[in-house]
Amino acid sequence: MRLFLLAASWVHLASSVLLTGAFFMLLLAGNPSERPTARRWERTIAVYSRRVLLVALGSGIACLLARTAVFEGRLEAALEPRAVWRALLDTRPGLIWLARHGLLVVLGAFLLLPADVRETRNWIAARVEPLVLGMLALALVSGSSHAAGVAPRTVLAVAVDVAHLLGSGIWIGGLVPLALLLRAASREAGADSRLYAERAVLRFSGAALATMIVLITSGSMNAFVQVGSVAGLAGTAYGHLLLAKLSVLVPVLVLAAVNRVRLLPALSRPTTTVGCPAMRSLAAFVGLEAILALVLLALVAAMTLTTPARHEQPVWPLPFRFSLDAALEGPATRWRALLGSQLVLLGTVAAIASLFVRRRRAPVLAGALVLIAVGAGGGLAPFVVDAYPTTYRRPPVTYHAASIAPGMLVYHEHCATCHGATGAGDGPSMQGRRPPADLRSPPVSRRHAGEIFWLVTHGIPERGMPGFENRLGDAERWDVINFIRALGAAGDAGRLGRVVEPERPWLVAPDFAVSVGPLAPGALRDYRGRRIVLLVFYTLPGSRPRMTQLARSYDLLWIMGVEVIAVPTDASSEAIRELGSSPPALFPVVTDGALDIVRAYRMFAPGPHAELLIDRQGYIRAIWKGDTEAMPEATVLLGQVEQLNEERNVAPFPDDHIH
Amino acid sequence: MPVWQVVLLVNLTLAVGLGLGYADWGRRADRLYQELEATRARVEQLERERAACTTGARAGEQQWEARGIVRAIFPRADLLVITHEEIRGFLPPRTTSFRASPKLRHAVRVGDAIRFSLRGAFRDATIVAIERW
Ligand code: HEC
Repeated sequence: MRLFLLAASWVHLASSVLLTGAFFMLLLAGNPSERPTARRWERTIAVYSRRVLLVALGSGIACLLARTAVFEGRLEAALEPRAVWRALLDTRPGLIWLARHGLLVVLGAFLLLPADVRETRNWIAARVEPLVLGMLALALVSGSSHAAGVAPRTVLAVAVDVAHLLGSGIWIGGLVPLALLLRAASREAGADSRLYAERAVLRFSGAALATMIVLITSGSMNAFVQVGSVAGLAGTAYGHLLLAKLSVLVPVLVLAAVNRVRLLPALSRPTTTVGCPAMRSLAAFVGLEAILALVLLALVAAMTLTTPARHEQPVWPLPFRFSLDAALEGPATRWRALLGSQLVLLGTVAAIASLFVRRRRAPVLAGALVLIAVGAGGGLAPFVVDAYPTTYRRPPVTYHAASIAPGMLVYHEHCATCHGATGAGDGPSMQGRRPPADLRSPPVSRRHAGEIFWLVTHGIPERGMPGFENRLGDAERWDVINFIRALGAAGDAGRLGRVVEPERPWLVAPDFAVSVGPLAPGALRDYRGRRIVLLVFYTLPGSRPRMTQLARSYDLLWIMGVEVIAVPTDASSEAIRELGSSPPALFPVVTDGALDIVRAYRMFAPGPHAELLIDRQGYIRAIWKGDTEAMPEATVLLGQVEQLNEERNVAPFPDDHIH
Repeated sequence: MPVWQVVLLVNLTLAVGLGLGYADWGRRADRLYQELEATRARVEQLERERAACTTGARAGEQQWEARGIVRAIFPRADLLVITHEEIRGFLPPRTTSFRASPKLRHAVRVGDAIRFSLRGAFRDATIVAIERW
């Protein structure tokens, strides 16, 4: 069924495109007036466009039926009027289908009209109207395309898609009539219309160049939105289709360039032969271009039926990838990369130069190629790091205390014996053996989360790292990876001081649930873009004076844009009662799930009492830890808050997932 | 009829059809949506007033039900400070102080999770009932 749907979609798309382009080409060529061959060509195109319209309507109906069957999940549904009716009226693609085919029917009626086009005004009107209707019908396609599913900036995405569709309509659709015209005019009998054909092909060449630029720009924008990454391109079905499309596009472009640069000038050369061979070969090349373009449309139709890469988990096909960080790591590799890139540059310059010298071109070119190869081989090596199929997998769980805390338990149970409690690689069972790499620093911390997922799942048997595929569930493995990342972050957190470093956010605060008693819980990320958060970990009775102080300054803090969130380190569910009410502490006190938060944040700020200042973007900016003695006075705290309030360059919100 | 006139006619028909379609169905649908929203809000208000009536309130008073946690009690000001969930048609989730009679105030302690009923006109609601959650 899907294959049938694909075929129908292709035929429908192709005929819609051909229809639009046919009338564009007619308009572009201009009124043939008294040239018989050109008149005959015009009549042929009129008949051709009527047939194409019929094909478009027929394949459109086939599409609708096939989509109904796919939509309902039953083959018979395609023939049940009620199901088809429902697919037509109750779905957005159905309504768009209706509008488009309404336009096509109007177009058909118009084409059937006997028209007297001797007057120029009428001639233009009779060509413009079908073109406008055809373009409208074509543009509406993007209303039910992947572009309409982009959010935010849906309008922009749809506009880009419309430009792409119309561009392809004008260019691809114009090729077939053009080839027919050229062939007719290249014959002996067509001599009367050769000038006409030449003018048409020159105009089309200009128009095609412009549309090609539109197509490439809008196409890249589309690809950026729908695919967005190299991994999406190399690792998903959608990306593969896009690559296939590009690989068809390249010969098309080459062909177009040859036509423009080689064959077009040849047209105007006077010929002695009766026919016009240059025009005939141009006709053949344009026809070839059209056929390739139709293949392109098949791939496009397949892409519209495939989930865009941005919604897919990519499967990386190569055993390696390039990493800039890896190359910039040590001075030695940095030198290598620098040297290599310079060699490549030199080689490229030499290669370009070799195109201009006449003598000894071959040896110069060979030398240049050798330079490039050596430079690339030596210079690229430092950029290469191992990669695995899951390298670009996005973690299904967010960087959240409720994942880090269980990850910590998993780690201590399964990993600490080898990797050590802190991840340094000094676990007891590694005594006397080569210790594993430190999990907190490069190269491990530079690895993508998906790579660590692969290593933890399958292990590195030859080097003593067991695989955990059968011992830990998927979620547990992702939890432990979140924990490893938190370990690394916690190591770095030591660099964070008691005062805010202006404009330099870098430490992401793990998200957590803020549940006050049985009330519906909120989350730390709910405060993003709205409030600075002072996260307070307290232990009674030691923290009592500090909590009293905070309760008293809460009004002022609130006015300054701060929310205070208090978390009892003992995770008591009676925390609010225990804090008492003189003075009343009116900020949220987490009474539910506090244990996860305490476990995760203890890595950043140990001790019986600790406070963290989290900015509006969700980054930890200052940490006070130890006990209540080390906490900032109200005035100092307000000074830090003011500092944050004055920041001009806001960092982007951090990603919810680790990388 | 010359072709250009036919073209003009076809396009005019399309444009007018589109315009009429929006003027008739589109606008009507928009209006219906708005009315539906307004009616929903009104129904909710009436429900609250009815709830208030059955427990002996004066006319025009509404009643809201909510859940929250007692955060502070101010005996002299007759106030209870409560961290509450969203109160539909009244307040978003946050910490708010409400007036409550001494009897009700004595029945709760700081830290209690409660369900409570508010009654009154907008912006001037008083707690009329509290039960443990
Ligand atoms: C039997 C001991 C042992 C246990 C248990 C163990 N590992 Fe390993 N692990 C190793 C060794 C040895 C290596 C080092 C491989 C190397 O250095 O080339 C390693 C390597 C790794 C690496 C890859 C480092 C790199 O090269 O990028 C990761 C990630 C890792 N371990 C995570 C874990 C996690 C998570 C657990 C617990 C679920 C775990 N390991 C349990 C021994 C162990």
